[in-house]
Amino acid sequence: MLANANRMTPYLFLAPAVLVMAVALLYPIGYMIWASFLDWSPSQRIGEAEFVGLRNYGNLLGDAAFHESFWVTLRFAALVVGIEMVLGVGLALLLDRELRGMTVLRTVFILPMMIAPIVVGLMWRYMYHPTVGTFNRTLSDLGLPTVPWLSDGDWAFASVVIADIWQWTPFIFILALAALQSLPRSAMEAARIDGASGWQLIWHIKLPLMMPVLIVTALLRLIDAFKVLEVILVMTNGGPGLSTEILALRISRTASEFQQLGYAAAMSNVLLILLLILTLAMFGYTKVQELRAARIRAAEEEA
Amino acid sequence: MLKTIGTGGAAALLLAGTALANPYAPYEGTTVVAMFPAHPHYDAAIAVLDDFTEETGIEVEVDQLQYLRMRERQTLELTKDEGDYDLISFVVFSKADYVYADQLENLAKYFMNPALADPNYDQSDLITGYVQNIGVAGGQKGYLPGQLGSAFGIPFGSETSVLAYRQDIFDKHGLEAPETYDELLEIACQIPELEPGMGGMASRAASGHQASHAFLLHLAPLGGRVFDDNWEPIINNEAGVEAANALKTIVDCGPEGGTTFGPSEAAAAFKQGQAAMFMDSIAFAAGFEDPSESTVAGNVGYALHPMGVRRGSQTGGFGLAIPKNAQNKEAAFLLMQWLTSKEGDLKVAMEGGNPSRFSTYQNAELNEKYPYSATFGEALEYADPDWRPIIPTWGEINADIGTTMSQVLTEGLDPQEALDGVAERARDIMEQAGYYTWQDAAAE
Repeated sequence: MLANANRMTPYLFLAPAVLVMAVALLYPIGYMIWASFLDWSPSQRIGEAEFVGLRNYGNLLGDAAFHESFWVTLRFAALVVGIEMVLGVGLALLLDRELRGMTVLRTVFILPMMIAPIVVGLMWRYMYHPTVGTFNRTLSDLGLPTVPWLSDGDWAFASVVIADIWQWTPFIFILALAALQSLPRSAMEAARIDGASGWQLIWHIKLPLMMPVLIVTALLRLIDAFKVLEVILVMTNGGPGLSTEILALRISRTASEFQQLGYAAAMSNVLLILLLILTLAMFGYTKVQELRAARIRAAEEEA
Repeated sequence: MLKTIGTGGAAALLLAGTALANPYAPYEGTTVVAMFPAHPHYDAAIAVLDDFTEETGIEVEVDQLQYLRMRERQTLELTKDEGDYDLISFVVFSKADYVYADQLENLAKYFMNPALADPNYDQSDLITGYVQNIGVAGGQKGYLPGQLGSAFGIPFGSETSVLAYRQDIFDKHGLEAPETYDELLEIACQIPELEPGMGGMASRAASGHQASHAFLLHLAPLGGRVFDDNWEPIINNEAGVEAANALKTIVDCGPEGGTTFGPSEAAAAFKQGQAAMFMDSIAFAAGFEDPSESTVAGNVGYALHPMGVRRGSQTGGFGLAIPKNAQNKEAAFLLMQWLTSKEGDLKVAMEGGNPSRFSTYQNAELNEKYPYSATFGEALEYADPDWRPIIPTWGEINADIGTTMSQVLTEGLDPQEALDGVAERARDIMEQAGYYTWQDAAAE
């Protein structure tokens, strides 16, 4: 009897937290899933909306604008996270040493992350301005041809990628630096004694040891990159054409401009599923890696 | 005890007596909460609200929002059981949404109430095109003038389009203000050659609503429409392609970076002397003439929106309405009536607002202060209430036109192909919304 009660105790203590989670997390998600089966305009209450089954999802399949923004989102996320990872980790490897003024440098580095996204968008928008912006003025002062930063589809896409890299590379940098500084010194000393060069040290010791942290970092950035909204909203509002209309922006426009809450909810669910798959894939990958490492260790012990 | 009731009754009678003497008295001390857009006209209106409070004893509290944000807020506000706003200003294309969802008061009962309706209001003096476009719903096609339509709002801050041009530049090169679209396009592309560094005409063109607005501005005068009378899309006919080409020519010969312009960027380019022409709402004129923000003040001429196969300037802007869920409807009506009365309209116009009445445009004092008023009054005769459809599905079709036009302007998409795509998608949207139910039934 007493043993039973003891076994129950942890669950009892957990119960309030679970309850709060269920209400705060599951209820809104359930609401969104329910809404995605409705033809719901913001001037109706949810109870008055018409149930249309899977029609919203069916329409998504044939919606060229949605496909386009889905594709833009994928390209955007892959590109920014890829470049940010390389830059951020590279910077961390370079700056992982005792330098004077390192604390100041680090603070300066993470400043872009701390600026409100709307401000970042406005700032870049004015820097990209065709005539009075910093970039085009510098270019024309140097006698070079100016660039249609935000007024040409491909350039606009590149411009929002640049702005995102500027803002979020520091995030990867500080996490990678923290990971680097927590690596066991013994492993690196052993490698050095074995005669490993600097590159070999990075490639065979540091990066593999940092990998679990890097994967979580990349995952966090990826999730964020799929949902980025404000900076692009302010810089291009999705244009020219649909060249920078990422999914989050499409969803926001569908809800507010087209007044179709149900359709917007269906899009959000597709985005949610995509992110879930990505997350599971990433965790699956680390799991496989761990298992492999464990197998190798076991094999070594046997031998 | 009886005596107190007696005096109470007498006091009530007395009050009723004064109510007859002054229609505003029963509402003295009431606070009307209004939602207005951040817009030059409404800035002018807010400047005269103190006069209203002084005259009537009714307090006014204003909440001002950017106009697209205002619309978002309203869609939420209007679904509440008890609203926080007694008087709202609505964007013209919201008329369809709000009236369809039964969220605005029909104004008939207020104008029938002798205690509220001012006998000197003179409805016939209100600018007809605006009233039909902004105030009336339920006529032809649901949004156009028609015998069975009735008023849900009163135009306030309405606007049409005129052509603003640089008188000094035109004089210098011996150019005349363009009368037709051919002349307009020719001059637009001549300017960059005559005045290196200056664009021909500054226009909205940013992806989305702005590019769509700019395209539709040319569509009506060039003889096109978005739908025919059976709601079949005809936006991709010859006139549509011509309008798309006109927009492309204008943007190509316009100031640098024009494909990202919204109305304020386009107006700023004109104010900074980066373009020789600007064709958009009359609401921008006051800003052009203000030397503190404009380098071209005093050098701007105004002409009618050029003619294609017909004259057709835009109709747009805002109207005032009373939400169904308002708390102080009568007081709100009194404020609405006061603002749009002959005196109120003139007061607002003198502060830089857009008149809603013919008499205001004829006012000598106003013409002296704002010399362009006469041209604007003339432009109103050609204001086209059907230059864009005001139907619940418009938001989505409008956005599609806008992104597709942006592709024409920036990615070299063929206008015919672009508009064919728009027409096809518009038909799907209309089909789903039930616009072809009657035709389909007739066909069977």
